[in-house]
Amino acid sequence: MIRALIIDDEQHAREELEHLVKETGAFEILGSCANAIDALRRIRVEKPELLFLDIEMPALNGFELLTMIEDELMPHVVFVTAYNEHALKAFEEKTLDYLLKPVSFERLLKTVHKVRETIRRGEAPKHQVELLRHVPCQFANRLKLITFADVEYVFSDLSGIHIVTSEGQFYTELTLKVLEERTPLLRCQRQYLVNPDKIDEIKLLENGSGKIKTKLGNLLPVSRRYLRQLKVRLKL
Amino acid sequence: MSLIFELLQQTAVIIVIAYLFSKSPAMDYLSGARLQRRQLLILYIVFSSFSILGTYTGLPIQGAIANTRAIGAVLAGLIGGPVLGLSVGLTAGLHRFSLGGFTDFSCGISTTVEGLIGGLVHLYLIRRKKPEQLFHPFVAFSATLIAEVLQMTIILALARPFEDAVALVKVIALPMICANSIGAALFISMVRDQKRVRDKVGARFSSKAFTVADRTLGILSRGFSSETAREMVEVIRQETGVGAVAITDREEILAFSGIGADHHHAGNPVVTKWSKQALRENKVVFVNGYDEHFQCPLSSNCPLGSALVVPLQVDQEVVGTISLYEPKTKLFLNINRSFGEGLATLYSHQLLRSRFEEQKTLLVQSELKLLQAQVNPHFLFNALNTIMAIIRKDADQARGLLLQLSTFIRTNLKRNRDIVTLEEELAHINSYLEIEKARFGDRLTVNQEIDPILLGLNIPVFTLQPLIENAIKHGVADLLDQGQIWVRVYRHKGLVVIEVEDNAGNYRKPLDSQGLGLRLVDQRIKNNYGNEFGLTVVCEPQQKTLVQVRFPLVEESANDSCVNH
Repeated sequence: MIRALIIDDEQHAREELEHLVKETGAFEILGSCANAIDALRRIRVEKPELLFLDIEMPALNGFELLTMIEDELMPHVVFVTAYNEHALKAFEEKTLDYLLKPVSFERLLKTVHKVRETIRRGEAPKHQVELLRHVPCQFANRLKLITFADVEYVFSDLSGIHIVTSEGQFYTELTLKVLEERTPLLRCQRQYLVNPDKIDEIKLLENGSGKIKTKLGNLLPVSRRYLRQLKVRLKL
Repeated sequence: MSLIFELLQQTAVIIVIAYLFSKSPAMDYLSGARLQRRQLLILYIVFSSFSILGTYTGLPIQGAIANTRAIGAVLAGLIGGPVLGLSVGLTAGLHRFSLGGFTDFSCGISTTVEGLIGGLVHLYLIRRKKPEQLFHPFVAFSATLIAEVLQMTIILALARPFEDAVALVKVIALPMICANSIGAALFISMVRDQKRVRDKVGARFSSKAFTVADRTLGILSRGFSSETAREMVEVIRQETGVGAVAITDREEILAFSGIGADHHHAGNPVVTKWSKQALRENKVVFVNGYDEHFQCPLSSNCPLGSALVVPLQVDQEVVGTISLYEPKTKLFLNINRSFGEGLATLYSHQLLRSRFEEQKTLLVQSELKLLQAQVNPHFLFNALNTIMAIIRKDADQARGLLLQLSTFIRTNLKRNRDIVTLEEELAHINSYLEIEKARFGDRLTVNQEIDPILLGLNIPVFTLQPLIENAIKHGVADLLDQGQIWVRVYRHKGLVVIEVEDNAGNYRKPLDSQGLGLRLVDQRIKNNYGNEFGLTVVCEPQQKTLVQVRFPLVEESANDSCVNH
């Protein structure tokens, strides 16, 4: 049984796909999600092997969801869409398979076959993950999308990951690791990422560590280990 | 006293010549406008001849000549300015000098001065911005009077012996002053009358041309067909009064009106060699009736004797002809000839314009087709997917949705009219919204506030649908929370306002092909109602997007005219 997650913003579409997927008998359905943020949480918990992923979704589309998943959790992906636009055509090469809505059962069986083969061969997911364009943050009841130019720094504490901008502090689902890998942010301490464009000055301390003063005047710790990397990256 | 009458007799001869002159093309130069060098030269020759003629027709008196030489010099100055006046005066003066006599020198000088005086009056009137006064007989009279008085003074001053000069002036002063002044006034008044007659004819011609153009262009804008041709030939014949008028296309007579209508019928093929020549060579063919006779190939008794055939063309291509005919008993007037040619040019332009309009309409229609095509795929496949899911749970609801879908597709397919009623447009978007509501479930609510009085209002087709699609695509479909859409139609300050609002506030300036729907709506509203109307978008990010379409509330008849645009 292939452990699969269904992601689609429309309830009828999710139900229909669940129904068809169950009928193949090839999948264990871990759940179905109505949006990318919900999906991200479930992926971390359930660690699915395969996503049935709708492309057109509110706030964050299917492609954007993929940029937010950590590499080691990255599942195989079958895109499901109503209409094959050019965007999908370009993606076709890199993706395992895609299904057109309404989905026919026979076509789904072919997908099952492809997925089984790929997993049997132990291939890693083929799709290339692009750089994140903005960070989704929860803000009141809304999803706020912050672009990187606005980010001052990022830190983690017991309550989670927080993005600091001139407008304030926002909570995000993304991990520091994903943010470090897929954005220009640099690690300066185990719990801190800094936007190199926002660094005002770096103070060197006697014990080999340091402190960063950002343009907004915030002080960030720099550990010895990351100070060296930081210097290399900033060509100091 | 007898001298006065004799001089007036001489003047009469000059006047007769002036009359003949006023009939000649040289007359056109006396329009009071700025004269060109060539025209000045012609006037110089003409007036110098007058002046010299005045000397020759003069009467020898006491070793001098009582004459009407002054008229030519003064008028030349008056009409042509100081340079022309001086030149004519000098020429006539030198001529007079060559004839000898004891006043030869003084008369030579005085004639030159007289030309100059005419010229100074000319300058004065032009500077005072009263050029029309140049052709006033009183001005000519006064100018000549002053000039002649001056001449007498010069004779007294220069001619020797002085006693002879005094004796001469006593005899000739009054007759010459009177005869020359009256002669100049008569001359100018004749020129002026002639000018008036020409202006009047020109004005009548222009007004006739405008009337015909005005009455026929409207007809032609409905297209070039036998029906519109029939109306046009009637108007042209009435207004020009020619014997007969015909309009043909490349093959056959579209309409014929007037003399010979008994055997010249609409629908007959084009047979005369002149029409064929005009069509073939794309040039005006004129059969004047005396060098060449119009020979009707249909009937030997045909009363028509002369014809003008002018090709009608669009983009260099001849599409037909317009012909004017006169019977054998009548001359073909030149005025009607230039009139016919002008008319054909005008119609050719109008036809070009009609063709352009036609293509514009075609463009709008193809844009509409594009709009329909743009609607479909995404919506359609999502709708089908939704319905497939619902079939498993609720067959009746699924049936209902399929009916809505077929209603929507059917109206979309057959909407090739430009104008629909608001009610029809609302019905159309409602079937669309029913399907979207099923698709999004409780994520979508739609509120409608429609002024019921406006339900019968005619609006351009597809005005509302792109607004709704936009609200769904950039509103509800892009929103994690509950999506709301408001559709409102109301009257505001004599305008109709159609607005669609959503609570997403996700509107972004569309790139290229996106937003084509909204752009087309804007364009068509502007085409139909004018540039001050159209579509506006107000977006408060994360709050709402409000799209408004405004156009004037017009009467039914005004709406009909929109269809023609």
